[in-house]
Formats: sequence, structure tokens, C-alpha cells
Amino acid sequence: MALAFSNTNKFLLNNQHILRSVLILSVRYKQRGHIADHLVEHHRKLPLSKVKTSATEDVSQVNDEKNQNVRTTPHDFKYVYPDFLPNPIPFLRDRILEKLERKDMFRRRQQIDIPEFYVGSVLAVTSADPYAPSRRNRFVGICIQREKHGLKHEFTLRNIVDGLGVEIVYELYNPTITRIEVLKLERRLDENLAYLRDAPPEYCTFPFDMEPVKLPPGSGVPLNTIQVPITSTHWQYKWERHDLKGVLLPPLPRSVRKAAERYSEPWRQWDIMRQYRTEIHDEDRDEIFEDIEKHKQDLAQYRIDSKENIKIIRTRQKAAGRKAILDDSQQTKHSNPPTSK
Amino acid sequence: MNRALQTISTRLFTRPVLPSSLGILPNAGINFIPCAWIRQHKLTDQQMRLRYKKLHWHKFYNDKWVQRRGGGWDEKMTPENQTFMQEVVYETYTNKESPLKDGPWKHGEYTTNPETIRTGVLGLKLGTLPQWDKKGRKFHVTLVQIIDNHVVNYTPPEMINFRTLFTTRPLRRDLHGKVGMLVVGALSSDPRKFTRAYNGLFEQAGIPPKRKLTRFFVTPNSVIKPGTPLYATHFRCGDYVDVQARSIDFGFQGVMRRYGFRGGPSDEYGATKFHRKRGTVGSGRKHKILPGTRMPGLMGNKLVMMKGLKVWRINTKYNVLYLMGPAVPGPNHGYMRIQDSSLYERKQKLTKDNHPPFPTYYPQDGKILDEELFSDDIYHFDQPTLTLDDVQIAPLTTRRTTAKTAQKKK
Repeated sequence: MALAFSNTNKFLLNNQHILRSVLILSVRYKQRGHIADHLVEHHRKLPLSKVKTSATEDVSQVNDEKNQNVRTTPHDFKYVYPDFLPNPIPFLRDRILEKLERKDMFRRRQQIDIPEFYVGSVLAVTSADPYAPSRRNRFVGICIQREKHGLKHEFTLRNIVDGLGVEIVYELYNPTITRIEVLKLERRLDENLAYLRDAPPEYCTFPFDMEPVKLPPGSGVPLNTIQVPITSTHWQYKWERHDLKGVLLPPLPRSVRKAAERYSEPWRQWDIMRQYRTEIHDEDRDEIFEDIEKHKQDLAQYRIDSKENIKIIRTRQKAAGRKAILDDSQQTKHSNPPTSK
Repeated sequence: MNRALQTISTRLFTRPVLPSSLGILPNAGINFIPCAWIRQHKLTDQQMRLRYKKLHWHKFYNDKWVQRRGGGWDEKMTPENQTFMQEVVYETYTNKESPLKDGPWKHGEYTTNPETIRTGVLGLKLGTLPQWDKKGRKFHVTLVQIIDNHVVNYTPPEMINFRTLFTTRPLRRDLHGKVGMLVVGALSSDPRKFTRAYNGLFEQAGIPPKRKLTRFFVTPNSVIKPGTPLYATHFRCGDYVDVQARSIDFGFQGVMRRYGFRGGPSDEYGATKFHRKRGTVGSGRKHKILPGTRMPGLMGNKLVMMKGLKVWRINTKYNVLYLMGPAVPGPNHGYMRIQDSSLYERKQKLTKDNHPPFPTYYPQDGKILDEELFSDDIYHFDQPTLTLDDVQIAPLTTRRTTAKTAQKKK
């Protein structure tokens, strides 16, 4: 009764889409008909581009509009708003593209409350479904992964329905999503919980009528240090090679362990460039954070103006992580409106 | 035997396919017209080269053109002098007398019978974003920014020699002798980077020299005075547009990536030395390789035209167009020529009353545009969430009409 390990050499990565663009790593030096990235910004800011008879605003004034007093962005900004992180492929980035994308994201966030959640928290998502009799489809599941950046940001929910594992990928900014509620806010030891597919079913089943778990006020986001055992005989990926912390692997044969050691990359913890690419840096950070602050003010104003939301109640105290953000700004009430579907 | 089958199957499956990545709901019963078409050249690259042998097909520039790049040497100026020179340059162009002081040229009238062709615009590809339409369907959109475009020059049709002009981009035969040439430039820059001859091209128009120039062939009624700026509002939301750009350079590529050949099996099935090859190269009878056989070679980095792209949104603050589709040719920060669509169905919809701003969009002092303009079908994020209560779905039919029952009915 030997356990059969995955024969395929597939390796699970958090940024799998990078593999597909390996061919076009950067613009070839022989490529014609384009300009270098630094020149684009140079031209946008040149005073020569000012035209006397223009109806549009001067784009060159963008730099001057920056606030003199620079806010200190909180250190956990990238965990709370992972969709605002930049494109990991740096040569595909563009300042105006990101600015327009963020505008759309903020507008959407005014319409629907997109709560803070992490991989490992249990969510209930209601989306508009034209095929259902009630025109609504509600799905409850544990968040397995959060991928991509900007408007394309997606998260997968997993649950076991009638003995069958079901995973649904939701786009965070899809306009057909009517409601996202966090039933259980918590974090896990890993960023990607795809190993739950090979785990016993009790680790992924959540009843659809699950009630939201209220956290004690003033507590941070709880970390669930559960060690999920992997019991299935066929694994989707070679979990022993992935440096997973929330997983209890069965005893492995020597060859498998040796191969895992060969494939391991212990130097990644000191890979500063990789960390640099996944973060937002000083020039962009303040701009993005200012936009978020402005969005929060607009949201508060929108809530006051709109007649539907009469009273806004805070259902639970903000987690310690989010307190850091609110310290600088005014106290903005931000919660799930207590309405039916 | 195997190899013969290989070549047959590769020929069957290498026909270019219409892009169907538009996120269409299969059973929704809603009509969604695919709009992006790639023009298939009737002549292959080799045939084009043979035809234009005399006109230096392989050269990217013409010897008769003026030399562009200049400067670039260290003039050994003190920093104060450098700042002074920069200020001088900026001041000359802000204080320059623009020829538009006398007002623009007389506007022509938009006519459909003798067709009118307006100018195009030079844009820069920024990247792609997802957008949603009012029925909740997702599609991808390319952003194109139009960074200080100005009209530089106009030559009337009488002064153009149509026989020798069209080497890289042939013009329709019925337009020969009837269209004038407008030169449009993008990205103003410092005149110290260019030669005096090149800077002289822009003196009449009173604009700083441009980094990139193109030609657009327009009918004489849609003439624009040199020196007028062109904006993103030259197009309207909901209009269709042709885009021409130089595609991404893939370098020397094999036959599988270049033409989509199937290749051979992996080593697992015992294939010896046949994994990514082309297979046979000729037939048994003719003792030669036919010209135009597809083989490995340089892929990309050539002009590609994409027709019928819809303009979904326009941002007037940054002069950005949102064009349909993620598959617009070119890398990021690549130049694109954008023109009104030449597709028959799209041209039919334009009439004397319903046409885009002619000859171009002129900003009026009293009227200030909204920052963002949307087409009718797109969902913009200020609207409330889409509850698809109005969507009607075609009911499932239990009866199926087969050939036999159809015949019986007849």
C-alpha cells in the first residue's frame, strides 16, 4: 500500500503567469517602433508638450500636485490591499495605466464593500446569476489563493458540496458580484492552500448556512497554525518540494527526500530583488496611499449623501493590522451594511 | 508515411483563426459580433520583396529623407549655461507665433458619396485592462495614449508623385491622384537632439520638433492647417478604428512557434530526432522547393494592421483611448497609427448627420468636456452592481430538428 507520488514535474508557483511570458522577457534590442520606458515619462513631463490651445489639463502638473507632507505608509499595506500591488513584470508597467486602473478600482469599492480578507479565511460571495430562479448565487468557501494585480485580481474559494470538491475563481472587481462577506477572518501559514485538494475532506467543508464568527475587539487577525495532513495517494503537485509550513507530510522514501533537497532554494529568503519586485516603492507608494486616503474620504461622503444607508454600524472592531492605517487619517466607518441579499 | 501525414495535418491546422477570446456567454442568446480582423496580405514577404526590388525593400528609411539624429556630443557647458539653454528652448516654443492665430483653414464638408477620409492619429500603446459590459461579460481593452500630436505639413494631391511613393504601405488604386498627404508628428522634443534640416520641417507649423512622424492620406475636404493639435476626442466612443503598428519582435523562431505547426512526439514515444521539425519540404514530383514554403526565420517586428477595433472609452485628461481587445500589435510603449475603420459595414453607418468630428476635434473655450466619455454598452464603475434581472435566456427546446424530420416537414 505504497503512496504514489506525483509523476509529473509540475511545480506550483504563485505567479504562474510569468512562465507564459518567458519568451518575451523584455523588448528585444532589434525591436523597432517603440520608445524606451524612461523616455515616456520624460515626454509626459516636458514643458514643450504644453499647448496653448488645449482643452485638457497639463499632465506635467502631476508632480507639483503631490502633497508636501509625505505620509508614512503602514508596513502591512501590501497585505491588506494585495490588489494594489504593482505588476511583477516591470517592463509592462506604466504610470498612467496604473492610475486609470486605480480610479476604476476605487469607484467599484464605493459601490460594494470589499472587505479585508486573507488566504485561509472563509468567505460567502453572492453573485448575480441569470440562470438561477432567484437570480442570485451564493457560494461559501475557504479562500485558497489570491492572484494577479489591479482590476484582474482574483481569489478562489473551495468547498465540498455533496461529496464533490468545488472551487470557484471570482474576480474581485467583477460588477456582477453583489456581496462579499467574511464569515471567518483568519490567516494561515502559507500563501497558497492548493494542498487542501489532497487533504481529507473535513478540512475544506464549510456549511452554507455558516454564521459569521465575531472576533473580540482590538485583536489582530488570528493566525491559524493548523497542520493539514495530506492523505490522498495521488498528489497534484510535489508538496515536499514547496516549503509549505501548514502541511503534515506522510513519511517519504529517501529518494523523494533527496530530490526535495536538490530542488530546494534556501537562498530565496535573501532574494532582495524578488521582494523588491513584489512591493510598491517610495515614489509610487505615497501616490497610491494618497489615492486610498482620498477614496476613503469620498466613500464616507458618498455614504452620507446616499439615502439608502441610514445608519452605519461597525460590526467588529478593526484588526490591529488595519489600526495602523487608521491612525493617520480620520476615523472612517467602514462595514458590511446589514441588508438582505 | 508518417511524415506525409504530418505535413497534411500541419497544413490543415495552420489556417489563421479569428480571435474568439471575447468572453461570449454560449447559451445567453445575445448577439455579440466579433469585431477584430487581422488583414491577411495577399502577397507574402518574399513576393513583396521581389516586387519592390528597386525601391530598397530591406531599408527601413529612405535615402531621400532628411537626416534626423543630430547633436549628442559633449559641448562642455557649465551647468548654469545648460539650464539657461534649456530655458531658452522652452521659451522660444511657448512664445512662438503659431500659424493658428489667423484661424484654422476653412472646414470642408463631410460627404459620403465621394468618400471622405479623415486623418489618423499617432498613439502610444500603454497596456491592457479588463472591462465589463452591461450584461456582465468581461473583455479586455488596450489603452492607447495620444501624446502631443500635431499636424506638421500638408501636400495637395497635385504635388504628389503616386507612382514612386508607396513602397511599404500600398494605397488603393482608386485613390491615386485624389488624396493629399498630411504629416502628423508625436512627442515634441528638444531641437538640440536633431539636425538643422530636420528642425526646419517644423518651422512653418510653429511647433517643436517631433520624435516620430507619419503620413496620412486624406481627401482634400478634410484638410487641417499645420500646427493644429490632435486629441483623443478626434474619435467618438462607439466608433470603430483601424490600428497599424509594428508587432513584437520574437527573433529567429522555429516552425512551431512561427506558424503553429504540430511538430512531433516527445522522446517518450520513441521519436528519434523529430520533435520540433518541419517535416517534408517539397513534393515527390517537382524537383524544387516552392517559393513561400514555411520555414524557420525571423518572426515579428513587421507592420501589422488590425481592423475594426471598437473605441469603448475615452479619457480626455490624459488623452487615452480604450480600444477593444488585448491583441493589439506591438510591445508596450510602441507607436501606433490609428485611423477610422475602412471596413464596409462600419463605413456604412457614417452619414452626413452622424459622423465623427470633422476634420478634427477643435476645443471650444466655453465647452469643457467630461474627463471620461463612455460608449453605451460599457459598464462604468460608478453605476450600481449589475443585477442581471433583465436578462432573458432562451428556453431549452426538447425537440431537435434532424435532417430526416426537416425533410418530412417539407
